[in-house]
Amino acid sequence: MSFIIYVIYTSIYIGLVATTFYILTFLADSKKERPFFKDNELPLVSIIIPAFNEGETIALTLDSILSSNYPKNKLEIIVIDDGSNDKTFENALKYKSDIVKILKQKVNGGKGKALNRGIEESKGEIIFTMDADTTVHKDSLINMTRYFKNPEVTSVTPAMVTRETKTLIQRIQSIEYLTGLFLRKTFAALNAIHITPGAFSAYRKSFFDKHGGYDEDNITEDLEMALRIQYYKYKIENAPEAPAFTIPPRTFLDLLKQRRRWYAGLLRNMLKYRKLFGKEYGDMGLFVLPIAWISIFISVFMIIYYSYKMTVKSIKEILYYKSINFEILNQFEINSYLIERIFFQIISNTPLLFLLLFFIVILVYLRYASKKINRSESLLINLPLFLIFFAVLFGIWWVVSIIYVVFNKKVSWD
Amino acid sequence: MRQIQSKRRYLLALMIGSIIFINGFVITSTILSIQLNRVSDLQDRTSYSIFEDKLNYRLFDEDICSTNNFIKISKDLGFQGASIGDLEERLGKNDDEVIFRKRFYSLVELEHFEFINEYNEKCNQNRTTILFFYSNLKKDLDESERVGRLLDFVSEKNKNVHIYSFDINLDSRIINNLKQSYNIQSSPSIIINKNQKIDSQIDLDKIEKHISINNPESIHL
Repeated sequence: MSFIIYVIYTSIYIGLVATTFYILTFLADSKKERPFFKDNELPLVSIIIPAFNEGETIALTLDSILSSNYPKNKLEIIVIDDGSNDKTFENALKYKSDIVKILKQKVNGGKGKALNRGIEESKGEIIFTMDADTTVHKDSLINMTRYFKNPEVTSVTPAMVTRETKTLIQRIQSIEYLTGLFLRKTFAALNAIHITPGAFSAYRKSFFDKHGGYDEDNITEDLEMALRIQYYKYKIENAPEAPAFTIPPRTFLDLLKQRRRWYAGLLRNMLKYRKLFGKEYGDMGLFVLPIAWISIFISVFMIIYYSYKMTVKSIKEILYYKSINFEILNQFEINSYLIERIFFQIISNTPLLFLLLFFIVILVYLRYASKKINRSESLLINLPLFLIFFAVLFGIWWVVSIIYVVFNKKVSWD
Repeated sequence: MRQIQSKRRYLLALMIGSIIFINGFVITSTILSIQLNRVSDLQDRTSYSIFEDKLNYRLFDEDICSTNNFIKISKDLGFQGASIGDLEERLGKNDDEVIFRKRFYSLVELEHFEFINEYNEKCNQNRTTILFFYSNLKKDLDESERVGRLLDFVSEKNKNVHIYSFDINLDSRIINNLKQSYNIQSSPSIIINKNQKIDSQIDLDKIEKHISINNPESIHL
């Protein structure tokens, strides 16, 4: 057996054990009772919306949060225009009221700085951070806030899903976000959520008071915050019944830039919080994080290996077709023998069989997600696209991010 | 320090994951053995058919020229060759059953080869035969695959060409004799119509120079 076969079977085995473990955890957790705030116990919440050149979307975001079912007398919204040079401030100003504050930073200082300003100005016991192009379901605020009844809970993440699926790249992301819903719930059960989406997440304000606000120099300040919460051993919950909708990048290049920032940020922040690995942090340190990083390592190895193989194969193919003067013949007569051979090739291929099993698992994840957010995606188109392209894209994002970190290149928001 | 939630759950996941993993191999190995039986059954039928034809015209003077059974047999052989290749890829080239099937396949191929030669001679036909000696050792694999594909192309383009493939590393007395009689020293090598040997820089021009293009049927082993 060649080395690559060992790598493939090792990753399959790890995948099987990890998937089984997550499903068992999910099932055990679904029987657990959680304390929730009742309607009359809901605390004052502050929604902080930093906005930089979001003139086109800010109104939609504010409309969505204002139409929320959360009691208006317990709601505070703070928009921080972070030095925009479009109509963000003017458009936000139209919403100014007793519960909506509009602040302006003269110079663009970055998201972390804007968020810290919002936290300083806020009065709420619970702080929601929200991107200026995110929208939420009318029950999401209430559903997330209820989890803070448990005093150990310091942060709550929503069911983050996509709002727009116009392009191929967005379709692939829509499935990625949906499959993430199941895992995020399972990670919450294991106390292992290590990412709180910057697009929409909730925090207990006392944490900021005690451990400081956002790291203003961090390119993934939301990720740093999640890791910091874990580092201090607080609990991060997930509310799958609280959908939040984000517009995913539309093009390959935009998505690459986003993921380069996320993954380079993850690498740098993980290095900073490397103590999270190990028995000190229970299931997260011993299982969830190591498995996540082994998966990333294997994906990167595979993408490099198969890129090399594909290149060699392509060169060979070109040379072969050149040797037959590019004469294309119908070499495959469709007959019962050919069909039988293809059938046997597929069903006798062990990795392919396991791939089919993982495909079924993804379908189960998607079914769970659809039930939770009460929305069915166009799986017929989006799922095949996801299955074909996601692994390749994932490998590319990581390879690029690793190059940026290794060569200490600056990663920006653009 | 945070505690692990449930050691039992880890153990259970390890057990279930391992059972699924092992079962994946059990399922594919069962399917491979079904495929092997299928190839073995087909080999029996093909060899029976060839022997029957040969004995009929030898013992009972049946007209060899009236038969076109070899076209069907050629297709069966083509499928067998490809299937044995698939099995070799899955089970490895050292698998006893695969080695036996390859040896048997070589015999059936030679039977067919002899039949076609006799058919050409007695019926005044000029069907082309190509003996293809390949090696699937790592150092020879790329070149053998390249020539194999070229021959596929040739047989598809030239409808009267029959190709017979032999693994020169197969421990088989008949293949060793065949290698000796055609003085095969390296792979890939090809012998066209029993007398034209090409064993270096095999390309389309060299092959096509030696084959006649005038028969309508497509034969591809």
